[in-house]
This record gives sequence, C-alpha cells and structure tokens, in this order.
Amino acid sequence: MVVKNRLINPGAGFARAGLAGMVFLVMLLMSSMAMAVKYDVVPPSGTHTGEDVPQPIEFPHDIHVKDNDINCMYCHTYARRSNVAGIPPTSKCMGCHKVIATDKPRIQQLTKYWEDKEPPPWKKVHDLPDFVHFTHEKHLKTLAFDREFPVENVKEICAFCHGDVENMTVANKVKPLNMGFCVNCHIANKDLGAPGDCWKCHK
Amino acid sequence: MSGKMNRRSFLKVMGWSGAGVALTGCDMPTTVTLEEGKEEVVSYLMPEEYVIPGVGVWYASTCTQCAAGCGIHGRVREGRVLKLEGNPDAAVNNGKLCMMGQAGVQGHYNPDRITSPMMRTGGSLAPISWDKALGVLEEKLGAVNGDRFAWFTGSISGHQSVLLTNHLDAMGSTNHYAHEVVNNAVSRAVNQDMLGEANPRLRLDKAKMIVSFGADFMGAGQSPVQYAGQYAKFRTNKERGLLVQIESKMSLTGGSADLWLAIKPGTEAVLALGMANLLLNKIKISDAGIPADVRTLINTYDVTTVARITGLAGDRIQRVTQLLSERTPSLVLAGAGVEGQAQGYATTAAIMMLNHILGNVGKTIESAGDFPFPQLMAKQGGTADLVAFAEAAKAKKLDAVIFHGSNPVYSAPKSLGLTEALANIGFKVAISQFPDETAMAADLVLPVDSYLEDWGTQVPADQAETNAIHVQQPLMEKLNAETKGLGDILLTLLKQRKKDEYGQFEDYYAYLRNAFAAMPTSVKNDAKSNDEFWNTALQTGVIKVDSGTKTLQSTVVSFAAPIVDDNAGLTLLPSPRLGLFDGRHANLPWLQEAPDQISKVVWDSWVEMHPDTAAKMGIGNLDLVEVSSAQGSVKLRVVLLKGMHADAVAIPLGQGHEAYGRYAKGLGVNPLQILDATTDAKTGELAMYSTRVTVKRIGPADSLSIVRMGTGAGDSQVGRKLVVTVPVEQVRRTEGT
Repeated sequence: MVVKNRLINPGAGFARAGLAGMVFLVMLLMSSMAMAVKYDVVPPSGTHTGEDVPQPIEFPHDIHVKDNDINCMYCHTYARRSNVAGIPPTSKCMGCHKVIATDKPRIQQLTKYWEDKEPPPWKKVHDLPDFVHFTHEKHLKTLAFDREFPVENVKEICAFCHGDVENMTVANKVKPLNMGFCVNCHIANKDLGAPGDCWKCHK
Repeated sequence: MSGKMNRRSFLKVMGWSGAGVALTGCDMPTTVTLEEGKEEVVSYLMPEEYVIPGVGVWYASTCTQCAAGCGIHGRVREGRVLKLEGNPDAAVNNGKLCMMGQAGVQGHYNPDRITSPMMRTGGSLAPISWDKALGVLEEKLGAVNGDRFAWFTGSISGHQSVLLTNHLDAMGSTNHYAHEVVNNAVSRAVNQDMLGEANPRLRLDKAKMIVSFGADFMGAGQSPVQYAGQYAKFRTNKERGLLVQIESKMSLTGGSADLWLAIKPGTEAVLALGMANLLLNKIKISDAGIPADVRTLINTYDVTTVARITGLAGDRIQRVTQLLSERTPSLVLAGAGVEGQAQGYATTAAIMMLNHILGNVGKTIESAGDFPFPQLMAKQGGTADLVAFAEAAKAKKLDAVIFHGSNPVYSAPKSLGLTEALANIGFKVAISQFPDETAMAADLVLPVDSYLEDWGTQVPADQAETNAIHVQQPLMEKLNAETKGLGDILLTLLKQRKKDEYGQFEDYYAYLRNAFAAMPTSVKNDAKSNDEFWNTALQTGVIKVDSGTKTLQSTVVSFAAPIVDDNAGLTLLPSPRLGLFDGRHANLPWLQEAPDQISKVVWDSWVEMHPDTAAKMGIGNLDLVEVSSAQGSVKLRVVLLKGMHADAVAIPLGQGHEAYGRYAKGLGVNPLQILDATTDAKTGELAMYSTRVTVKRIGPADSLSIVRMGTGAGDSQVGRKLVVTVPVEQVRRTEGT
C-alpha cells in the first residue's frame, strides 16, 4: 500500500519529511517495489452525493474488483484507447458467466438478456455536457502509462473521478465532475502539462 | 452475430457520449441531461472487431447533394456517420466540400424521410409492403406500351444510369427526361457547336482575367467546389487574376469580383457584340473564323450604341475590353442569367465567341478528352426536358412514368400546366427519399436509401484535371429497414423484364462487383486481382480514368441578332444560391439557417430591388409587396439591395414548398411558379430569366429574418471598421491605375 499512500498525498508527505527521511523513504520504496512511478500527480478534490441509480441488473463492482481483483480496464477496455471508457459488451460478461456463478439470480438475469440478444439497458451515471471534450485515453496516458504507474493498480487513478468503485455495487457518482473540479486539478498539475486553455476542453 | 451489422446493433451503442444521441433517434430532440440514471448507455451485445466506441473511422464515398459529384470522406463512429469532409483523392473537389455537402447528414438523418412504400388508394397515399409494391409495378409496367413509358430524373451518371438505360430498353422506350433547374444546358449546346465538346475543361486557374456574364461559378453553379478552388489559384497566381462580373443581380461570385457591373437584364448579347467590335475593329485582333453574318452583326454595335442599350458606361466597356486583350490568356463565361433568356443560345454564343477572338480556346478552355466509358457519363439535365415532358403529358402520350431525383411538380412553372397534365398519366411512380410535391402527386411511392446508405458510381460532368469515376459506398447501415437503394430498385425492375439476363445478380452490390471486375486493366492500376481493385476503389473512392489528350476546335457559329425591348419594365430573376440550390435543400435546417450570401436573410423568401427603383414606387425596405407576372403573383417582403440593376427584381429560389417535410413546407414563396413558359428557340430550354413582372406595395414594413452586421441598413458597418476601405482615388495615387 506504499504506492497508494504516495499517490494520494504525495507532495505533502515529501515536504514534511527531512532529507534523511526522504533518503530513507526512497530506499524503502526502491527496495519494496521493482519499479517506481516517474512523477507525482495531485489528485482532484471534491465530493458529490450522487443519487442511487437502479440498474437493470444490480452489478456488483465490489465482487469483481475487490474480491476478485479484476482490473477496471479489463471490462472498460476502451478507456485507454478512446474518449469513452465504454460499457463492456454483453459477450464479455458471458465469457466468464457461462460457467461462473450460474446459479445466482443476477447471472440468470444476465443470461436471459444474452439469450434474447438484447444487451441490458444500463443507466448512465457519469456524464459530461456535450460542449466538454474529455478523453479517458489522454488522462490514462498522462496519469498511468507515461508515469509507468503499475497497471495492476490503475483503479487508484480511476478513483480520482469515479470514487471508490471497488466498494460499490452499482456505480454511484461521488465526485462533482464540474468545471471547478476539473480546473482545480488541471491547475494543481500544470507542471505535468495539464492544459489550462479554454479550448482544450471546449472545442 | 455475422460480420454485418443490423439496425439494432447500431442502437446498441456503447460509450457515454454517444448514447444520448443514438438512443433518442431522430424523431425527438435529444434530451440532454447530466442527471444520473436518466439516460441509457447500452453496450454492444458483441463488439465489432474494428469498432472502438468514441473513435471515428473515415470512409470514402461520393456526394450527391448536387450533380458535381465531389468525393467525400465520412466519419463513422459507433456505426453512425457523423461528419462529412472532402476527399483529397478526388481531383474535382480536392479535399474540400461545400455547405450543401456538409449538410448531407441532415438529409440522411432527416425526420421526414419516407420509411415505407406507399400506394394511392381512395385518393390518399397509404403504406403498403414492398412485395405488394413490386407486384403492382410488375403488373402496371407489364401492361404499358413501351413508347408510353418514361423515366423522369435529375442529372444521372454511373452504373445507375446504365441500369436505367437498360430498363428503358427492356421496356421498349426511349423516353428519359432529365430535368435540372440549375443547369448549363444552353452552354453545353453552344460548346458542342463551337468547340466540339459539350463539357470542355474550364481552367480558371490558368486565366489572367475572367469576364463572367453572370456565371456564379463559386455559388450555384455546376461544380462550385472545383471552380472555387480554381478561383483561389487564379487569385494567388504570380500575376493576380482579375475578375469582372457583369450581371443584373449580385451573386456570390459577383460579390468577390474586382469589378462588378450591373447590366440591364437581357442586353448581355449586345455587350458581348460590342466588346467583339472593339477587339476586332479597334484593338485589331484577327477576325479569322468568324462567319460573315456575325461579322456584320458585330459591326453594328459600336460603343455608344452598346452603352446606351446596356446602361453601362462606354469608357468602362472600353477599359474592360482593353484589359481582356492585354491579359492573355483570359476566360469569358456565360451564366444562368444569360442562358435563361428568350435568346439564350444566341446570347451565350455571342459571349463564347469572345473566347475564340481572344484565343482562349486550348489555353483556358481545354478538351476533357474522350472518356472511355461513354455509358457511364452523366446524362445532364436541363429544362427542355421538363417542357417536353409537360407537352407529352398534356398530349396524353404517356401512361406510366417513374420519377427520381427531381421534383418537377415543385419546379415546373404553372404556365406549363404540368400539375394538371399529370392526371393524364395513369401510373406515376416516385422513387423518393422525402415526401416532396412530386411524391405526393404519385400513385406509388418507393422509399429510397440516402446516398450515405447506398452503393453507386458517379461520373462528374465537369471533370477536373484527371478524369475519374467516383465510387459511392454505404457509410452506415440503413436507418430504416424499409428503404431500398436506387440501384437495387433498378435491378429489381430489370429482373421483372429480363430475368435471364439480370437474375444472376443478387443485388446491386453484386452487379457493381461484376461491373468493376469487367473494367479494363487500364483503369485497374496494377491491381493484382479484382478484389484488390475493388478494395482500392472503396478505400480511395476514386477510379482514375485516362482519357487521352485531344485538341478542341475553335469555331464561331452563326447566331441570331439580339432583340432588346427598351420598355420591358422589370425582369424577374429567380436566383439560385449555394445552399437551398433549386429548392432541393429546403428541408435541411442548416442550409435554411445559413444566411443568403448577399442579402443575409434566413428561413424565408424575399424580393430584392434596387433602392432607386423601390423609391420611385414608394416602396421601402421590408415593405410587403405583390410581385405579379402574367402567370400569377406572389406576396413577400422587399430587401433593398444596391447589387441590383434598376430594371431587375430577384426572388431567390428554394422556398415555397407545399410539401417536403416539416422544415421546408409552408416557408416563403416559389418564384418558379409565376414564370412564363417562354423557351429558347434553338435549344428548347425554358427562358427562366425573361419573365416581366410588376411590383405593388400592399403592406407596411415588417420584420424579416435578416442576419446583418448591425441594426438598420444592411450595407452599413454602423461605425465599426469591420472592412477597412480607402477611396479609389487614393489607391490610384499610390498603386497606379
């Protein structure tokens, strides 16, 4: 969990530590993991109390992420390639659930959709206005891949904007995702090249 | 699921941003909400291998928004075409696309598209199945006598044209009427007679000076993107090209001219003859090749006479003519306002004669070569076919007709009596995307795919430097399960007649594959197999065709002397513009919303008058007036415009639809309705620019949707220096004359 601590409160931790402490920390880090991230980021701040959104199937993110340690990008596979993270195709669900947990009512519900050749009509939880250009691809590139952040922990990056999904069943909006939320984070990370121009998002 | 997408799978759009648009479809405005749980975001059942939600892929195809046949690239995302741009591989438009092309997606996604075949039962059109529709077609067309059957289309080219011709043959008919309101039929006739080629290659980019007699080549012309591109080169050449536009109503091209001259409508031939007179008699250019009668005619038009008749200053005429003789090669063009006169052929011939005198033929007017596939070449429309069709209908010579790509019920002047005459045709079929006026008058309506859903080939009539066949491929699956492609409908009709010959083709796609495979190796460009050739054609959208080199003849034909009516009163100019064009784009809100390039009006009709003419009649800006011809009248508001000749009034084309969906219906007036049925004696083309009208004020000024740079007067900048000007005298002092 060292990595996680560094990530969530990176600047402050280093500033308070003395030189010796830093050397110690660095040595500890280097010894405890094979690869260190290349640079630090300041995560966005702010919370939101989202409404509970009933979904056609009460999808348990917790079972998938926390209990079974499935990577976010395994299902939301387009996040690293596109503006949108994407909802996994029903075929992806069925890849496992043809054999796993077939006795559970939720899986039987899913199987029914699959057999009817109808994907479940999921309700949208996170959204941005059409006049905002947001891309998952670029954010993941800067926050995860270019940093050489361990990909197995990418959920910590996703959590910046989507909250603690691993402890949710169906997703709930817990970050404001408004302009202040975006801009404050961009200002805090401007040294990393987070753009401050209006037209970068409003184009 | 198979590799082919079905309609449902398009709705199964995944990805946050696409879902709102996709799921609400076209019938309802998209509900945009950021609230959680209000919108659905539905995944694919099975992902398509090549689809990444949110990432667009560009495919090549061909635009059919006008007859120019520009190549396009369409951005497809989650199975939907979202944006069109020009295809850089297409020499005609060279990667550019005009506003009409851009608005193509609005025709495709238009909520007023016909979604099922309809048949007239008990006076009104009611939906029927395709099986029933095809059954009726087979029965009715089987019973009709071949020479009493006709096709009525717009300009048509490529393999669809081949199938259409074959269907006519199979029916034993030769009646193909091709109708276009915006056409250059008279110029084609003149070019054929004087140059030996109807569609020579115009090279505006090679000219050092262009004198255009009302040719709106950048606006509502035959290939606006191509000629706008050439114009850009013309302007940036080392010796910057000089454009002189002579017309009675300022067009988009006129607005860009170095010198804009308002000529009295109907006197263009006099001016052309006067300029010829100066060139031959004063500047002493050889008169070789000019027939004696034309030479005599030229001699009768000295500058003083010409100045008196045309209303232009004599020294202006001399100066322009002098410049023409100095800036060689030059190019002289004739436009719709000239071709559409009662003496259209003679006037156009007089103007084109200037190119002969100036030695422009072969320099700025080149041969387009011999296109090796004459059967694919465009059959270009005009208005002579409209007149002929109306006559045939009136004379009860037709029993069955199929309409496609043209809307004659809207565009035929009332004086032709077409609407009434249609009752004489027992079986009228409309292959149409929209419930336009012609479809509403038909007995059987067949819903056709949009051009973004259909297969086809297009051969531009105005070819660029490289001759080419442009390939049209579906950019997405059909929006409506019940529409069919034009090629597929044609093939079905042919199968009904000649099962043995056409039964081998399952669909139009199969026919095209076969036709492409049969193309000679010269166009296959080293493709190792037919599949490779096909795939390359789809990738690039263009098949380059070597048409060899050829030299144009340069001759002058004899033409009639101009007849000028000094007391003509006001002449009505039904002016088309890039945008609504001939009215076919009135159902596209983007183009309704785009202001008229000169008057800045949107979503309406208006009549343009010179302020002096209006003042004499006690008419003020935005007053309500009645414009009356011998054929009828229309009521609309006045926009005062200095870019008018005092003897002309202009009513823009495109509005006044009585059908054609929610965006077009009931807006403005249709000036075509009040035109006289006068025709040009030589070509039979309608003289659309020769109707005399009177204008009467019937109501006070009221609002009109005008987008203007300030409040009040339209040509004022209200003190803001949006366009900086200096007096002509100052320029002359510093830059010489």
